[in-house]
Amino acid sequence: MKEFLKKANFKGHLLTAISYLIPIVCGAGFVIAIGMALGGKSQDSLVIGKFNFFQALATLGGHALGMLPVIIATGIAFSIAGKPGIAPGFVVGLAANAISAGFIGGIIGGYIAGWIAFAILKYVKVPDWAKGLMPTLIVPFLACLSSGLIMIYIIGTPVSWFTSWLTALLKGLNGTSNLIFGAILGILSIVDFGGPINKTAFAFALTLQAQGINGPVTALQLTNTATPIGFGFAFLVAKMLHKNIYTREEIETLKSTVPMGFVNIVEGSIPIVMNDIIRGIIAAGLGGMCEGAILMSLAHGEGATVPFGGFLMLPTMGKNWWVGLLAILVNVLVTGVVYALIKKNVSVDEKKINKEEDISLDDVQIM
Amino acid sequence: MKIVGVSACTVGIAHTYLAQQKIEDAAKKIGDEVKIETQGTIGTENALKKEEIKEADIVLLAVDVKISGEERFKGKKIVKVSTETAIKSPNKLVAKLHEIVEKKN
Repeated sequence: MKEFLKKANFKGHLLTAISYLIPIVCGAGFVIAIGMALGGKSQDSLVIGKFNFFQALATLGGHALGMLPVIIATGIAFSIAGKPGIAPGFVVGLAANAISAGFIGGIIGGYIAGWIAFAILKYVKVPDWAKGLMPTLIVPFLACLSSGLIMIYIIGTPVSWFTSWLTALLKGLNGTSNLIFGAILGILSIVDFGGPINKTAFAFALTLQAQGINGPVTALQLTNTATPIGFGFAFLVAKMLHKNIYTREEIETLKSTVPMGFVNIVEGSIPIVMNDIIRGIIAAGLGGMCEGAILMSLAHGEGATVPFGGFLMLPTMGKNWWVGLLAILVNVLVTGVVYALIKKNVSVDEKKINKEEDISLDDVQIM
Repeated sequence: MKIVGVSACTVGIAHTYLAQQKIEDAAKKIGDEVKIETQGTIGTENALKKEEIKEADIVLLAVDVKISGEERFKGKKIVKVSTETAIKSPNKLVAKLHEIVEKKN
């Protein structure tokens, strides 16, 4: 089983797809965030003369974000089968959208399309005269047809049922359960600073946003926003405590880490926490927990209507904008104070010598 | 020993470059020649040249995602790890590479 999971490499394919997804979420996310913050609304179609500039921005972003199931499916199928995976991945993603199987449908569909394309490439043998037909007709046609039909007739319906069940469940959450859900989500969002856990939580939250549940993705992104700022704030807190917690090199890094936080890019904090990973995780985890709990309970599970944008997400939260702001501030405060308190004193010129972990054979693949 | 490699992570702005730096530092420390190509969100940087790959004793891929140009390393000894492994234990990883190359000879 373990061997099978390693071979199938579910995680690797999903991460590859997410790596293609992220620039689209960031780009389109900012566009829609600006449009909606300034009064635009995403339209089904733009009729010349019937829309203003901000509606144009909101629509541009909204349509791009609506394609996320297609992008994730295409990315996964590409990761599995290479270039021949792109066509069936695209088609199956559109099928998932059409049958309301959404993001989960896109993910499952991507694997199916990729493996089908891979299998056809590997097992379908044609005579020499038909070799030219393989890439132009046989692979794309068979793979698009079979994976699309599987999505529509077999997988689509149960997935869309599951999605609606999950939606109903989460919409029914009340005060306390929202608080706990938010706290857990806040922790998961931040413990690996933009790594696989964060991205999985992100995929989950995006699924929910597609169903109109905006709280989770907001909780996730606001902690991504607050954490890098929190590590910057820790510097000030430590100064007040007459402590020095960063080396000169780290202080230089902070100058880009904090601005990156303002625009929702948590990865800026990685060089900082890498030098003291356990304490970094504790500080960020506690901050994320408080942030998620505050956001989900005070806003009753509601949130920003856009999935990205840092502070730009706040205006799209409607009457709950202050909850978002409060959540960020508390997150910055908690992460900053905790990190300043638990981090050991270092001299400014210190060079880090970390003890290395042993490499297990599972981590190394030799070909 | 000559090491070439590629690093690439999911988001392509942090781990990719950390891994590159850690591997290069660790390898240079024990006198290896090393070049790591990065495939970040911005695209390929520090690209490997054909002759560099040809001369290399071993190829190290510190990757979490599918990379482009993997076929360039066909026929070479390839070691694949996650960027996390490369960042956490670069010296031990380089030692492991030596072990593998020596075993082959």
